[in-house]
Amino acid sequence: MAKTRRLVACAMLAWAAAPTVSYADTAPLPPPYEGSYQPRGVDEVGLWQEDDESERRLAASQVVIRDEALTAYVKDVLCRTVGSDRCQATRIYVVREPTFNATMSPNGTMRVFSGLLLRMRNEAELAAVLGHEFGHFEARHTVSLFKAHRSGSDLLAWGALLASMAPSRDVNRTYRDLQVSIYGNLFRYSREHEREADLLGLGYLNAGQFRPQAASEVWQNLMAEIAASANVRGLRKPDFKTVAFTASHPPQGERAQYLAELADPVGAARDDGSARYREALAPWIPIFLEDQIKLNDFGASEYIIAQLAKDGWTADLWFARGELFRTRGNQRDLVHAVEFYSNAIALDGSMAEAHRGLGLSLLKTGQQAAGRAALQTYLQLKPGADDASMIRLMVPAE
Amino acid sequence: MIKRVANRCLVVAMVASALTSVPAAAHRLRAAGEAVSVADSDVYVTPTRDWNKLDGNAGKRTELWTLDGEQLNAITFFGGIKAGDALVKERDKKRDPLPKFSTSTLLIEVPELLEGTYRTYKDIGAFELLSINPAPFLGNEGIEFTFEYLDADQLTRKGEARAAIIDGELYMAVFDAPRLHYFDLGVPDFRTVADSATLR
Repeated sequence: MAKTRRLVACAMLAWAAAPTVSYADTAPLPPPYEGSYQPRGVDEVGLWQEDDESERRLAASQVVIRDEALTAYVKDVLCRTVGSDRCQATRIYVVREPTFNATMSPNGTMRVFSGLLLRMRNEAELAAVLGHEFGHFEARHTVSLFKAHRSGSDLLAWGALLASMAPSRDVNRTYRDLQVSIYGNLFRYSREHEREADLLGLGYLNAGQFRPQAASEVWQNLMAEIAASANVRGLRKPDFKTVAFTASHPPQGERAQYLAELADPVGAARDDGSARYREALAPWIPIFLEDQIKLNDFGASEYIIAQLAKDGWTADLWFARGELFRTRGNQRDLVHAVEFYSNAIALDGSMAEAHRGLGLSLLKTGQQAAGRAALQTYLQLKPGADDASMIRLMVPAE
Repeated sequence: MIKRVANRCLVVAMVASALTSVPAAAHRLRAAGEAVSVADSDVYVTPTRDWNKLDGNAGKRTELWTLDGEQLNAITFFGGIKAGDALVKERDKKRDPLPKFSTSTLLIEVPELLEGTYRTYKDIGAFELLSINPAPFLGNEGIEFTFEYLDADQLTRKGEARAAIIDGELYMAVFDAPRLHYFDLGVPDFRTVADSATLR
């Protein structure tokens, strides 16, 4: 009996030492293009079928922003990153969700969130994220993670069966260790995938036309935003280096570091396409900014506005900042809001919403006459506003 | 023997009835024609048809009514939100705070407060205020507004609300339903309930 127990324990320990994936020391150049990929094997065919169904639902969903020019632009940046032959395997959907994210699924569906487009500062940064996502697709990460999960759960099921054949405290403890080890390995495997995709993405940038240093800047910028948000909320400074047991991605600090180290120094002088990016996103930035401001994350919103304003303050940016401060609504904020709305109006006097915000902020800081005058201007500029009848009540007829 | 079986049946019946009638935590009927207080407040409404009051509240001073289920048509009553409070209970006060009602909030800013709460709580992007008009509520100067948003379940919902600020506290009734079919079907019933609201 004791022998059986030892055998079971040995077998479990042997399984627990699952192989780990390591990545190269330098960002590898992209692998040669092998032509249009089709799923192979029952697992991958099944995954693609599920994914096709999910894409069908997405294509009909209201959450997709139906702006052909914007979608074509994002697709063009992807094609210029990974090459026009590779990028034909993907379909891009820009979805209106105000968070920093983009996803790629096994059949080539790429979801780009509006919150990502708001935060990127140039084409090179967008290319870094799109290249990373494309890396997941090219390396078939979903199917290998699926297989790893299945093997892991198989192993645990057999382990439980064997452990029940020789129940003792030692075997129980070994089984629990095995569980922790397998779960830990699966999370680590997911992080290895992310690192691999990071390197593939960086490989495209190194070999392509964009400035590869932008890949690291994406993460530096995001860390600064998270720190700004935590600071205003009175939270402890976030830790960007520690890997949590269940983390699916490497910590931002680590990503920023290795992406900076592995970026080709020769590429540092390349164009990052910030002017083109700003121009293409111009119609959407005020809308994405509004979505961001109304998320009630003052520190992050203020940081994003400041980043956008590095290229010069526009009426839209002053207005957004005014809205941000008026929404928080402390008396000190309202004084600032008045200033910001006034700046917006100085740049673009026809901006009706800025007059509205100015009027409301002035009223709340006790400046009745000036406030009413601003609201009157709002009504003159936008007589059919959705809240016109309400505003008219606040502005007595002369 | 027969007595023992009968006793057992009695015990089973008692246990069953104890399980089925749990008065503290259950949905309740709000019968037509009966004036009832909502959201633990002094607001009384008199529905003209039967409604269900759902168990479990989104916040301290809220109450949820529905006809066919929360996702198909729902009225949320806010019975006197105090300055400094959020409309609903915050998931995480520090990390995920919601916009707060304050002493300086103007009546015209109430729609924005609701919009900010919906966006933050549901993490959604598309929300649009459709109309904002003055309308009395609870016998006071009030506001009536309509809105539309793409909910987290990717269904477009439409809403209508009435609100008033009385003695520095926010009173509001909000109707939410899918834009397709259910909004138009349920909104007359909501208006009847909102019109019947009084402050005692």
